[in-house]
Amino acid sequence: MRAPFVLAAALLAGAAGAAPVEVLVQTPSGTGLADAAVIVEPLAGTPPRPRARVAAAIEQRGREFVPWVTVVQTGTSVDFPNNDTIRHHVYSFSEPKRFEIKLYAGKPGQPVVFDKPGQVDIGCNIHDWMEAHVLVVDTPWFARTGADGRATVANVPPGRYRLRLWHPLQKAAPAPGEIEVGDAPERLTLVLDARPHAPRPHAGDDPDQY
Amino acid sequence: MSSRSLRHRIAIVFVGLLVLVMGLVLALVHSSSARIVERETRRELAVGAKVFQRLLEQNQRQLETAAAVLSADFAFREAIATQDQPTVRSVIRNHGQRIHAQVMMVTGTDGRMIATTQRAMAAGDPFPFPDLLAAAETAGRSAGFRQMRSGQLYQVVLVPIMAPTRIAWVAMGFQVDDRWAHDLADVTGLGVHIVRPGTPGLLASSAPPEQRPALERALAAAGTDADVDAGGVHYAAVRVPLDGGQQAVLQLQVAQVRAPFGQLQGRLLGVIGAAVLVFALGSVMLAGRIVRPLNELSAAARRIALGDYAQPLPPAQGDEIGQLAGSFEQMRTEIASREERIARLAYVDVLTDLPNRTRFLEAFGRLTPGGGGAVLVVNIDRFALINNALGHLVGDRLLRAVAGQLRPLVPEGGMLARLWGDQFAFLLERADCAAARAFAEAVLAALRDPVTLDGQRLDIEAGVGIALYPDDGLDASTLLRHAELALAAAKRRHAGIAFAFDTGGAPAHEQLSLIGDMRRALAAGDFTLAYQPKLALAGGRIVAVEALLRWQHPERGPIPPARFIPFAEQTGFIREITPWVLETAVRQAALWHAAGLDIAVSANLSTLDLLDPHLGRRVRELLERHAVPARRLCLEITESALMDDPSLAQAHLDELAGLGIKLSIDDYGVGQASLAYLKSLPVDELKLDRSFITAITESPRNAAIVESTIMLSHALGLTVVAEGVETAAELRWLREHGCDIAQGYGIARPMTAAQLQDWLADFAARTTA
Repeated sequence: MRAPFVLAAALLAGAAGAAPVEVLVQTPSGTGLADAAVIVEPLAGTPPRPRARVAAAIEQRGREFVPWVTVVQTGTSVDFPNNDTIRHHVYSFSEPKRFEIKLYAGKPGQPVVFDKPGQVDIGCNIHDWMEAHVLVVDTPWFARTGADGRATVANVPPGRYRLRLWHPLQKAAPAPGEIEVGDAPERLTLVLDARPHAPRPHAGDDPDQY
Repeated sequence: MSSRSLRHRIAIVFVGLLVLVMGLVLALVHSSSARIVERETRRELAVGAKVFQRLLEQNQRQLETAAAVLSADFAFREAIATQDQPTVRSVIRNHGQRIHAQVMMVTGTDGRMIATTQRAMAAGDPFPFPDLLAAAETAGRSAGFRQMRSGQLYQVVLVPIMAPTRIAWVAMGFQVDDRWAHDLADVTGLGVHIVRPGTPGLLASSAPPEQRPALERALAAAGTDADVDAGGVHYAAVRVPLDGGQQAVLQLQVAQVRAPFGQLQGRLLGVIGAAVLVFALGSVMLAGRIVRPLNELSAAARRIALGDYAQPLPPAQGDEIGQLAGSFEQMRTEIASREERIARLAYVDVLTDLPNRTRFLEAFGRLTPGGGGAVLVVNIDRFALINNALGHLVGDRLLRAVAGQLRPLVPEGGMLARLWGDQFAFLLERADCAAARAFAEAVLAALRDPVTLDGQRLDIEAGVGIALYPDDGLDASTLLRHAELALAAAKRRHAGIAFAFDTGGAPAHEQLSLIGDMRRALAAGDFTLAYQPKLALAGGRIVAVEALLRWQHPERGPIPPARFIPFAEQTGFIREITPWVLETAVRQAALWHAAGLDIAVSANLSTLDLLDPHLGRRVRELLERHAVPARRLCLEITESALMDDPSLAQAHLDELAGLGIKLSIDDYGVGQASLAYLKSLPVDELKLDRSFITAITESPRNAAIVESTIMLSHALGLTVVAEGVETAAELRWLREHGCDIAQGYGIARPMTAAQLQDWLADFAARTTA
């Protein structure tokens, strides 16, 4: 699995300012993989504090969590605003963050602070198909691929980094690669074996069904 | 016997056919039901197997659903997520109880167990059924029958625990035990047993415990075969493979399927038995109804065959047998009437309605042997004269009247018959000589009552000849002949009644010696001829003599002609005597002719003589030899001799007449010969029987008969001779009434030739004087 990690970026190292790292994540069949997390972690030194108290939100709309995948830096608080007319019961049994927001509507009083790195799977106890995944990382440099499989990690200072990919439906955790970030933007194409996200079918969208 | 067998045969055929048909039905039902049982068994098994499989699927789906619902329980998931062993164990035990799962196992996504309710296993052990896990990875969930290490079989359902992604697997085991098998058995109607091929024992079974050992052995012995016999009970079975190497053996007891058919066959057998019984009774009764009239008909036919037509047939029904019986009855009555008519023709005299001669002879045959009896022949005097004088119609009526007079006399067991003409006969049973005589006198007394026909009073007299059985003969014809001879004797003697034993109808031994005596007499010259003169009334001259046979027996003295002449006629010896008589008479005629006496000689011919074909030749030679003119010879023949064979008699008479010989009818009036018949014969003379002449001067009736006979005879050109003239008054009456010639004691007795010459001379002297 090392092969995909083409470290051509090393040639561009030595740039004084921060440079973006642009990654195209593809499935082995060559299509762009959406919702993959691209994490750039410094090989040496502690990563800097979060740049700001950034608040993320995973809203519930149409009885789905939006977005499906959220990547946050450790310590980030995430809101779970409910835009549906029905209530939701958001929970997580994942080790890095266990929480439960019992039946609520609108915006819950307290956002959830993700204070440990790791993968947190979030569900709704009322709607089994609703799921959201939060990857809590200890670095401020990360990105999430769009529908075309591209993601850009901006403002990465030059230096050596470990580059990690993650996807909730990955078959196995890929081995991280290392990159040398210089002045020029890094452009990488990486392959991750994962199933693309397909929303699970809802139960009883149509009230007439009851 | 045959009727019995016919009845039996009908019954056997009917019942046999029924039994055959019923047997076929039964066989058909039996074989069909065997096929149906087989098919039904297979069908029930197939249906049961389908139901069984459907039940298993439903069961599994329910279990899966239950397991899925359980696994989605928030508290359950929350507890699992704690990863705290005691908590997790506690929660799976608790939630397992909720859905009645006996075994709960939680396994991580890495295939290692997180917690289990099984004591034998611990956290960290690999999940015991990796195949279920593999199946669940692809299908999301899985289920199957699995044996735990304890050997207990479970239906294991494996579902994921989602939070919301899969965080673990939970396996729930539902015990597959006998109760489970019972439930399925109740629904499918089949015996349900779960086995693992290759290993002994039943993992689960709906069979009662006592049947299990046999069942286990049978299943083991059957191998992969479906059908088994366990404990003497035959089961049809089908094997349904379950996953995990187990098999469900679904069994159906064949007897259970067969039971209703057995019941049906039993009932059918009962119905058939009853039907055969009813049929047997019915056919026996029917056969009886058919055969009974047939038996009656057959009995009637036997009766008819034996000649009993009297009993009418039983009333017939309207069916075919009834029609047969009707035809039969008609046949019976017609045969009866025909037989009666035939019997009447054969046995009854049409004129008088009395039995005829045949009937009389038959009746004699029924006479009690050794009982004795008598035959009486009754003859009316001068009937021929009455017949001739008054006509046949009157004669017939007279016979009927006489029959009417005689009929009341017939005693018990006796019989009166008309033999022929005016000859009647009585048959008397157990009558001795005295009784017969008394009866004969009663007959004569009865006939003495005058008969009036058309206002004309007729006095009847009769003669009776009696023959006694067994003295005078052993058979009817002999007795009749003897009685008739006796009758003739009675007439000759004017005695009214005569017995056969004193009229030549001598006892047999005496008769035998008589034949020998006659032969000796002929050789020894003991026979002689006596000559009785015949006086011509017109001229008062003796014109002829009648030669009469006399026998001077050397020991017994003179034997009356009535004693031996009828006997000689009966035995045929007369044929030896007559030539001698003719020879002697013709020789005497020659002598008289030579002496110048103008006298004709008469000789008597018997029936046998008249029928002798050489008679004519012999008489001619005799006349030629002695040179006697034919007119000097006269032959006298009785009426009865003529009647025996009239055509032959006529031929011979013609021959004799051709010679020029005079022919005379002797004893005229005794028999039946009519004048019309006599007219056709070449006869010259008629000799009136002495019974008419006797007392002619006193009986106007006799006088009338004789007078008319003389007139008729003259009209026919016949000379009339009166026999038995005894008195001068009679002689005078005869002369006055035109009789030609007279003969009798009143003129002269028979005498020898020598005496005759002297008597003639004396007579000539007297008349001229």
